[in-house]
Amino acid sequence: MSDASPIAPPPAQTPPETGSPPPVPVPQGSPTDFLKGVVGKRVIVRLTSGVDYRGILSCLDGYMNIALEQTEEHVNGNVTNRYGDAFIRGNNVLYISAAEEI
Amino acid sequence: MLIFSVFKTLTDQTVTVELKNDLCITGVLKSVDQFLNIRLDNIKVSDEGRHPHMMAVKNCFIRGSVVRYVQLPADHVDTQLLEDATRREAQNQIKQR
Amino acid sequence: MASLSIQEPFDLIRLSLSERVFVKLRGDRQLSGILHAYDGHMNLILSDVEETIMLVDGMDDAEPGQQVVNIAKRKMDMLFVRGDGVILVSPPSRA
Repeated sequence: MSDASPIAPPPAQTPPETGSPPPVPVPQGSPTDFLKGVVGKRVIVRLTSGVDYRGILSCLDGYMNIALEQTEEHVNGNVTNRYGDAFIRGNNVLYISAAEEI
Repeated sequence: MLIFSVFKTLTDQTVTVELKNDLCITGVLKSVDQFLNIRLDNIKVSDEGRHPHMMAVKNCFIRGSVVRYVQLPADHVDTQLLEDATRREAQNQIKQR
Repeated sequence: MASLSIQEPFDLIRLSLSERVFVKLRGDRQLSGILHAYDGHMNLILSDVEETIMLVDGMDDAEPGQQVVNIAKRKMDMLFVRGDGVILVSPPSRA
């Protein structure tokens, strides 16, 4: 992923004014860290239409265009299609969920 | 840019533009711009019964964003040239990053 | 394995040039055609295209088996597909 990637770390948010010290930064903090961590892993990609794609995340780019391997298409719990490879156009993506330990 | 160039080479050819509202318009491609807005001349709407108000329209400007498909004249498209140009453009995109 | 040469999602599409691909579009439409060109918007140019349109009749709460799915098919020689309608592109399986 390049520096010009639209998926940039979010701007620093002001922590809640609790007076307590800021929390220790967690290892997998930012969305970008999450996305780097799930490449090569089994994921569930949900589209805004509600359709799920389960497969191995080959790679993704800054638009959240996604390449999946060994993909199963799930519509309300039923497998409706299988693809060896699949390219998903990023604008359709609602979320990417890790389906195994990162 | 590549697709824009393809459309430019097809000016004065007859194409069928299918819009996202299912309207199909066949006409002579007069011009196209970088947004893939399209000007058509001598137009004919496929299902005039469903779109009677289009019968009097002879030419039109179509905003690129409302296009679903454009059916192209296959004999005026050099597929080998297209594939080479596409690979070249893909290579340039990678270099730019 | 294809994954060795894939660094970004568009590589998957580039490797499918001149091959038959499956395209899933918005509006319950699917295409099968030979891929000749694409760009960063996923605008596509396909030849020898078969389009499948799925129209589901019946109530939304009907059981899957009770819904009537009407399928319309048509063929087109050479087709430009605007990228904003594309959901998924799948290359032929290279087994």
